[in-house]
Amino acid sequence: MSTLALLPAMLMAASIATAQITTTDVAGRPVQLFDASSSNPAVLIFVRTDCPIANRYAPEIERLYNAYASRVEYYLVYPDAGESADAIQKHLSDYRYTVPALRDPKHALVKMGKVHVTPEAAIFSARGELLYHGRIDNRYLSFGKAMNRPTRHDLENALRTALAGQPVMETSSPAIGCSLADIR
Amino acid sequence: MRCPVVRLLLLAVPVFAAETKRTAPAPQVTFYRDVAPIVYRNCSPCHKPGESTPFSLLTYEDVKRHAHQIADVAKRRYMPPWPPETGYGDFVEERRLTAAQIRLIQEWVQQGSPAGASTGSPQAAAVEPEWKLGKPDLILHVQKPFQLSADGPEVFWNFVIPVPLYSTRWVKAVEIRPGAPRVIHHASLLVDRAGSARKNEKTPGVGFPGMDLTVDENTFDPDGVFLAWKPGSTPNIEPEGIAWHADPGMDMVFNVHLRPDGKTETVDPSIGLYFTDRPPTKFPMLVELERDASIDIPAGARDYVVRDSFRCPMDVQVLAVYPHAHYLGKLLEGYATLPGGSRKWLIRIPDWDLNWQGVYHFKRPVTLPRGSVITMRFHYDNSEANVRNPHKPPQRVRGGGHADDEMGNLWLQLLPMGNGDRRPVLLEALMRQRLERSPGDFLPNYNVGDLLLSRGKAAEAVPYFERAWKAAPRNVIAATELGVALMSLSKVREAKEQFQRALEIDSHFTDARYDFASALAAGGEWEQAAEEFQTVIRERPGDRNAREHLGEVFMLWGDQFLKAGNLELAVKRYDEAIVFRPADPELRMNFGTALVSLGRLEEARSQLEAALRFDPGMQAARQALAAIDAQKREKPR
Repeated sequence: MSTLALLPAMLMAASIATAQITTTDVAGRPVQLFDASSSNPAVLIFVRTDCPIANRYAPEIERLYNAYASRVEYYLVYPDAGESADAIQKHLSDYRYTVPALRDPKHALVKMGKVHVTPEAAIFSARGELLYHGRIDNRYLSFGKAMNRPTRHDLENALRTALAGQPVMETSSPAIGCSLADIR
Repeated sequence: MRCPVVRLLLLAVPVFAAETKRTAPAPQVTFYRDVAPIVYRNCSPCHKPGESTPFSLLTYEDVKRHAHQIADVAKRRYMPPWPPETGYGDFVEERRLTAAQIRLIQEWVQQGSPAGASTGSPQAAAVEPEWKLGKPDLILHVQKPFQLSADGPEVFWNFVIPVPLYSTRWVKAVEIRPGAPRVIHHASLLVDRAGSARKNEKTPGVGFPGMDLTVDENTFDPDGVFLAWKPGSTPNIEPEGIAWHADPGMDMVFNVHLRPDGKTETVDPSIGLYFTDRPPTKFPMLVELERDASIDIPAGARDYVVRDSFRCPMDVQVLAVYPHAHYLGKLLEGYATLPGGSRKWLIRIPDWDLNWQGVYHFKRPVTLPRGSVITMRFHYDNSEANVRNPHKPPQRVRGGGHADDEMGNLWLQLLPMGNGDRRPVLLEALMRQRLERSPGDFLPNYNVGDLLLSRGKAAEAVPYFERAWKAAPRNVIAATELGVALMSLSKVREAKEQFQRALEIDSHFTDARYDFASALAAGGEWEQAAEEFQTVIRERPGDRNAREHLGEVFMLWGDQFLKAGNLELAVKRYDEAIVFRPADPELRMNFGTALVSLGRLEEARSQLEAALRFDPGMQAARQALAAIDAQKREKPR
């Protein structure tokens, strides 16, 4: 148990030390994160093509992108190495995403963001500090138990707080979705 | 890392294997040997291409990609979705994992989801053909597919589908291809023989929204058969001897519950009908237990109970059961109390979820002796603790067909034992028991009235129809049936006035206009009767009875003029009557006689000859023809 408790702290330290991260977009082109070219926070939304809960969130993910794209770096992240670039492109077009997408086959971003399921969000400061990770909102209470409309917009609240320069409170409720442990 | 080490130990010291077994962890669980049989039986039938599921579970790779999730949803019993509780009803297609199977899946995932050796492992079900029951005898398509938005609330949509048939057929099976199954959790198919659903469409063919709809006739119940779809079910073929009739001109209404899935979906269902030449020999009936009118759940109530029961008037078999509630339903129970006092469970759903509702067919029919009492006992939670509560904060909720209202129905497919069609007896018992508790309700009054009328007891039927109409003053059918009962009692004037009231409710209800025209005719009001029958024929061009009756009206109207000595007008009416009754020898005879009196002998001859063609034994026509001949000899032209 003691090693487990230490792990996040170590990762946090690592992410601050090596602030700049190089990852790739769906076409395989390199994308720099936290490279000091932007002073905006970064929002990563982890999804997979075959997760019904993540898919159900597509319009909300897109809405947040359109609302905040001018003030944050906002990306979809596909962490499943088994998904082909074509399948991801098709998924983006089926769900009418205009959000730029990244791939994370080695789960570097998954580990940095401490996310466990899709859909799950992580907010980083411009320097790469993890400010928030967790659910988008409280629409899903568990599998099969969803409200028609969410009553708490956790991600959006965290985003506003971060943009206001205030310390972000962690959400206490875990994200509900498809486990990332299966696609390591 | 622990498992391989233990295995090495076991391999290295096989002699001690027996002793170490007790303390060693469980032997390795592998996919092909242990997990695949569970998955292929319980998951793959739905988790395959073309079905309602978001991903396939047909191979080791498929299952491995979702292993943690599978373990999680299996433990919560969210998957496979099987709401009924085991031991409270034994149903076809039960998909429910045992505690041991769930444990096995957890162990497999904990051990890293190993594949194991694949030799001799069972195979997942093959991809289904387009139609599971083979090519249908008749395929119905919706007129306009429905576009479901990517986001937003759940939608309840109705497609009205005309059935192109030229003669009545017996239907033994229906296969429903829901179209975009991923967004559909359940769907019902209703039969509408009265064309009432299409009245809800703004433009013909576009469909209309609505959760629970009522159609005027045979709503949910085409000859006592459930027509429903839920994910993963095999289409139901009715048991030997059971079939329902499809009529020319009828519509089918496909009622679907749609849940947005994040992208725009086109919902384009099709329906396959399978016919049989054999008329039915068994006559089940769908019996509904319900107390919707009395449902009134206070805001915040955590356990509101709705009950209804029905005492069987004969031995019956329960073939299938369909419980229905909306979002506040929590625990749904249906059971029978046998005459001896013992309880026989029919169904129990401990965690009701509207999204997974369905019709459940019993593996073996449940036989209930006469005098058994079937009870529904539904519990509702209108507090904030119910996450599905559509109102935040909770509000008072009453019975009704909208998604925000609440319902409590237990539908049962009951087959009365005994010879022939005993549904009328069952229906009468059901309705009379309903009347005991709610004497003013529309449905039982209407149905008892209808039963009495069909037995020729019109006088007894009248007060039932009166009460039904009072309960539903805008119901044009109840208004009309009251008129029919009065008419059967020869109360022509009252009947006529009643049909007029029905037409005030709905001037396009052709049945009422037909009856109105008949009442006018019975009162000798020929001119008005003819006008009304002509309207009926305009609205229903194929209505043979209306055409015959219109001809009769013209004929009797002509007779009246003939009697009054107004030959010119009599001939005019007969001429109109001939169009609708060309093969009526009496009419031809009277027409001919009138023409003779007018001296139009050649025309008279042709009518009299026609009369003889249709009735060669008609002496009067022969004599009249002879008289014409004689007259011509006397006064040659």
